[in-house]
Amino acid sequence: MDTGQVTGIVGKLSAESRQRDLWRQFLEAALAGSQDEKATSGMAEALRSLLEELGEKEVADRIIDIGKEEPSFPVTDMLRAVVEISGEMRRENETTLKQLRQMLSELATPIIRIWKDMLLVAMIGNIDSQRAQDIAERLLHRVSSSRAKVVLVDVTGVPMIDTVVGGFLIEMFNAIKFLGAEVILTGIKPEVAHTLVKLGVDFRMVSIARDLEDALRKGIAITMEERNRRKQLALSLAGNEAGESGEDDDL
Amino acid sequence: MKMMTYKDRVVPILRVADYLLVPIQIDLDDSTVGRLQKQLMEEIERTRARAVILDVRMVEVIDSYISYTLSETAAMARLMGCRTILCGIQPPVALTLAQMGVVLQELVVARDLEHALVLASLS
Amino acid sequence: MVGEKIETLLESPAHEFDVVVRIAREEDIAVARQMAKQLAQETGFSLADVTKIATAVSELARNIYRYAKEGRIMIRKRLEDRDGPCIEVIAADRGPGISDVELVLTRGYTTYERSLGIGLSGVKRLMDSFEIYSEVGKGTVVITEKRRRKF
Repeated sequence: MDTGQVTGIVGKLSAESRQRDLWRQFLEAALAGSQDEKATSGMAEALRSLLEELGEKEVADRIIDIGKEEPSFPVTDMLRAVVEISGEMRRENETTLKQLRQMLSELATPIIRIWKDMLLVAMIGNIDSQRAQDIAERLLHRVSSSRAKVVLVDVTGVPMIDTVVGGFLIEMFNAIKFLGAEVILTGIKPEVAHTLVKLGVDFRMVSIARDLEDALRKGIAITMEERNRRKQLALSLAGNEAGESGEDDDL
Repeated sequence: MKMMTYKDRVVPILRVADYLLVPIQIDLDDSTVGRLQKQLMEEIERTRARAVILDVRMVEVIDSYISYTLSETAAMARLMGCRTILCGIQPPVALTLAQMGVVLQELVVARDLEHALVLASLS
Repeated sequence: MVGEKIETLLESPAHEFDVVVRIAREEDIAVARQMAKQLAQETGFSLADVTKIATAVSELARNIYRYAKEGRIMIRKRLEDRDGPCIEVIAADRGPGISDVELVLTRGYTTYERSLGIGLSGVKRLMDSFEIYSEVGKGTVVITEKRRRKF
């Protein structure tokens, strides 16, 4: 088969000169066979662009048509290349998607150090099992590394809290308490409060605040109280002789 | 009760003022839990401590059995007039306990050693 | 039916799994837990999920040790699953068996003095899937899986 024939076929494939060039590159490389390394990489590149522009189905259909018209084309190899490149492109998309999801989950649930020893987490949007676990893991890590005493959880941006989401929140609150920090919950809308009580979710393990201001005030009170107690403790330990005696009871 | 010999002791117990500090670095199983509890009760009796602080920072897995033995130890200490404070639960352990629905009965949870001492001083 | 399943699993060749731990002594519980942890780490689970899997294995191993005296914990990773990488944990024993499986899965149920009674229900909560087959006098099998989260 010569260049003229290829040009003839290519001419029928597309009216656009750019796509014609891509087809030509692809077909010539396919004819050159898999021995030619440069041709193979050229073929992959051209095919990739064609797939991006036309989609897998369109490209495959045309290759089959070419095969019917010109049996000398290695149609099987060409289709195999389509499958391979599509797979590659799908994997790349999945990676991008994964990165975007990760980014979204971080953006959708900002954790802010709002005051000394106090974190604010604003939950926004619908929460499913994966997101809930992701939020809980990130939040607990933050609480632990920042040694936060109080975590304010604002659920104003959560449109609906059902039993499942309620269950996740309860788990997350209990986990925060296992770290020794306090949770103050705010932003429950009237309809959400209604549903929660009907579902039997009472969030009794946390304190509830009217709004963010109230939450902040409650949180500051808790941190101040503990700071005072720490001071008292330091004073009492300094005045306590037993504390200095250096017991040797350890193993 | 027979006094414990040196090799019966399974954990180091440090005394800070009126409090006992117990870092848990061993695997809590049937055989060691009994010895830990015996050692701790003897120490509470001897020192008349007001509170025991169990530090579980080094414990990577707390299953329902281990959490039960911790609560059980705290219940024993309470009968001797001593509070028990648990401190240093690691974030993955906290998430696991919460998901299993474990309630740490008899125990007060503290963030760190200093917080544990503050809570202990309240008793 | 259940008896056959238990025999098949207990006789299944070790090479079908990444980890097989025979539970006969109390120390074996810690071994199973440690092996599970390592395998979950290799499979790319988050630290929290690694801890959840290790805790579930700990509960299953302790149940074998307590009630059946002897049994096996088998763990394998499945990387080629359609829903992404996954870890499968199987606990099998020829112990006394459970007469009422539903009851055992109720939170708070226990026949053992040193327990909160959340062993099996805890495993079910920690893992993504949970199946139990048991027959009195034959033994018990628990098959459970956890999938790696997508992000």
